[in-house]
Amino acid sequence: MHPLKWSLFALPALALLATPAIAGQNVEWKDDGTVLIKLGEAYNNQVITTSREELGSEFGPDKQPFKDVTITVTVNGAGPKGGISGPLHQFRPVWEELSGGKVNIVELPFAEHYTKMMLDLRNGTGQYDAFMVGAFWYGDIVPAGYGYAIDELQKSGKYPKWTYDDMPPSLKALHQWKGVGYGVLNDGDGQVLYYRSDMLGNAEHQAAFKKEYGYDLPNPPQTWQQLLDISKYFNGKNWDAGDADPDSGTVLHLKVGEQGHYHFQSLSSSFVINPGDKVTRTQNVYWFDPEDMKPLINSPGHLKALEFLQELHKTGPAAQVGWSLGEAWDYFLRGKSVFVFSWGDVGALCQDESRSKIKGKCAAAMMPSSNEYYDFEKKEFVKLDKPRLVGNTTGGSWHGVVSNFSANPEATYSFLSLMAMRPVSKMMATVGWDGVDPGFSYQFLEEDGGTAKIEDYVKAGWDANDAKTYTHAYHEVFYAPTMLTYLRIPGSFEYWDILDKNLSATMSGGKSAKQALDDTATAWEGVTDRIGRDKQKADYQAAIGYTP
Amino acid sequence: MRWTGKIRFMLLAPAVIWVLAFTVFPLGYSLYLAFYKIEQKVEVTRVKEPILDAEGKPVLDDQGQPRIKTVVKKDQVNIATFIGIDNFKRLFGDPQVGEAIRVTALFVLIAVPLELIFGFLLAVLFNQHIFGRPVLRAIMILPIFATPLAVGYTFFTIFYEVGGPLAWTGIPFLSSPNGALASVILVDVWQWTPFCFLVFLAGLQGVPDELYEAARVDGASPWDMLKEVMLPLLVPTIIIVLLLRLAESLKLFDIPFSMTGGGPGVATQPFSLLAFRTGLRFFDLGYASAMAYALLIVVMIIITLFFRRMRFSYE
Repeated sequence: MHPLKWSLFALPALALLATPAIAGQNVEWKDDGTVLIKLGEAYNNQVITTSREELGSEFGPDKQPFKDVTITVTVNGAGPKGGISGPLHQFRPVWEELSGGKVNIVELPFAEHYTKMMLDLRNGTGQYDAFMVGAFWYGDIVPAGYGYAIDELQKSGKYPKWTYDDMPPSLKALHQWKGVGYGVLNDGDGQVLYYRSDMLGNAEHQAAFKKEYGYDLPNPPQTWQQLLDISKYFNGKNWDAGDADPDSGTVLHLKVGEQGHYHFQSLSSSFVINPGDKVTRTQNVYWFDPEDMKPLINSPGHLKALEFLQELHKTGPAAQVGWSLGEAWDYFLRGKSVFVFSWGDVGALCQDESRSKIKGKCAAAMMPSSNEYYDFEKKEFVKLDKPRLVGNTTGGSWHGVVSNFSANPEATYSFLSLMAMRPVSKMMATVGWDGVDPGFSYQFLEEDGGTAKIEDYVKAGWDANDAKTYTHAYHEVFYAPTMLTYLRIPGSFEYWDILDKNLSATMSGGKSAKQALDDTATAWEGVTDRIGRDKQKADYQAAIGYTP
Repeated sequence: MRWTGKIRFMLLAPAVIWVLAFTVFPLGYSLYLAFYKIEQKVEVTRVKEPILDAEGKPVLDDQGQPRIKTVVKKDQVNIATFIGIDNFKRLFGDPQVGEAIRVTALFVLIAVPLELIFGFLLAVLFNQHIFGRPVLRAIMILPIFATPLAVGYTFFTIFYEVGGPLAWTGIPFLSSPNGALASVILVDVWQWTPFCFLVFLAGLQGVPDELYEAARVDGASPWDMLKEVMLPLLVPTIIIVLLLRLAESLKLFDIPFSMTGGGPGVATQPFSLLAFRTGLRFFDLGYASAMAYALLIVVMIIITLFFRRMRFSYE
């Protein structure tokens, strides 16, 4: 036999010798202690490298610690390649191979998820082992004893490893209750401003804008008032060559029951929040007066913000009153509006060229600030010389919480933790469709104090400039010195639902801004009285860190 | 063969149990909820126990150790506090209730007459000898068989204002309060006119031909025949259809739930949707029960009045 022919046999034989001790369909255990997690088509068959150490001591090539155990997890329904639900589907076979167990994924429409979860918890049926919750549900879950504290499991070293220390304090607070951990790291929610860098940087538009408004087109806008001017300038013009229709300034998602109220929260924060080193009765408060739980939602600052939002709404398509997230995002991704302010999904979706026409033109920035805010102490508006940017953790920061009625909390925790490990979480944040947004130290770039490199994002298909502005914007929004406080008390969902309906009525012309906010405040008083004012006050003070 | 009382009882028992379990008990329990405030407390303890096989021996794992399962023991305490008619009193001061009543009333007052009128006119048309009547009749009644929830989602896409099939009209089907309510009414009329049509057609076909012939001999015009022959004979049918549609319309839920979510604002939130949200989204079960009973009372009053009126007409 020709020596070359020997090599035809020898090479595969050598390759076989070099292969790991055990190579499963989804997990490959290497002899050097590394472990490869092989993902499916949804994640472009990516392979994540981790270690036995990081996977925890319970898992191993010859172990199946949860054999015959079945766990059930609920999530907002979006399918096997949808936001938040997608990763559960993609990591299910991996966990099943590692553990020997089975995962049932119960997808529920957003509007029904909370209801089904609470019915299960209130009746103590234990039908579900974990829920992918929004942080605003904590007030209804944890104080009632429905959540399973995970600190012991996390410290045990038996399960896939991750740490709360990777979170900015603003996000960490959303995963814990009175210092005890309940939430498993997954998604970091906060709203930033996305803008068309090509349009704001266009010399012709800059000149025309200056002529019309008398000042240089700010790129990006620093104040909401500047953003409104830019929106008005671009609205109604066909500045995007994609089609023959006129384009818009800012697109919003305002359908009732579909998270439209978050726009108002993020926007109004800089109109309302009085800066200060600590939380007092007038500083760093947004929702209620922490002394008597009287709503602040109809304060002059909130009112001015809502009137501003009404103005801004006019620079977008009228139909957006009936739009959910997806519709508004697609409008921006198709190049039909200059601005959208929303969650991290948009930045990642901009990079998906099957859906986006604006890759490389999709920059992000910290949310603008109002040029004035309402001083609760002096009871008057205070003009600002320079913008005072307010950070936010607006949204759900959707993540897993183990049910206290679960018969298999260890198995459930190990499944959720598998997706919280650094290399997994880092990879997921670079992908648009999975709904997992950045917020953790290893997702920020080194120049922002993180450990990620721009190459990581470019390798994942990102435009470098888009990635830089995106990660920087998120770093700013989560680490801002002044933050919008997060409402996390019993009944939060109901408080927000009332606000949502009244905002929707305002945006559709059914109510004036003042009427809507006054109605909201009246209805909130009813909820507070029903749940118990003293109880609510105590929970609210604890949630915002107020000491009487 | 004479059936003994025991056999009769046994044959009736399943039906009686069914009614007791699924009608009487929920009715009674929701009435109880309306007068009480329920608070729940739960204590959870976990016990690790070995898994046993069919013979009662411990099941061993790969390392020869007994496999362990966790048994969750729940100690749930419900504290019920009697609050009298507080929940019913709340109904009168709640602006959401007022708005939901307005939406429901508008819906019923517009949708039901439209369904009856269109249904009647179509029935008159189909009572003639027209070409392809059997096929057209079958097509006409198709909407009845569609699930209202699916109908709502379908029309959501039809009324979609940017890129939807009717976007060219420029009509704010879903984004304006009045437009959205009109859209809900339109969809309901689309779905339930065929039901009215079907019942009216059956009624018309039951009218003896001799009556028409006699009217014609007397020189009655088509309008006279409609007014003097068809309508008077159809009155009982119309009243039954009206009653059924009224009762159903007052419970309107599926179409706004799926098509508009009750919005914009609360412009399309009917009373049933508000009660559902209050009870099953915010778990204010007592108040939601009070709402449900208020609706039940209103429906019962309307139906009783109708039956009285009907009886009066025929006596």
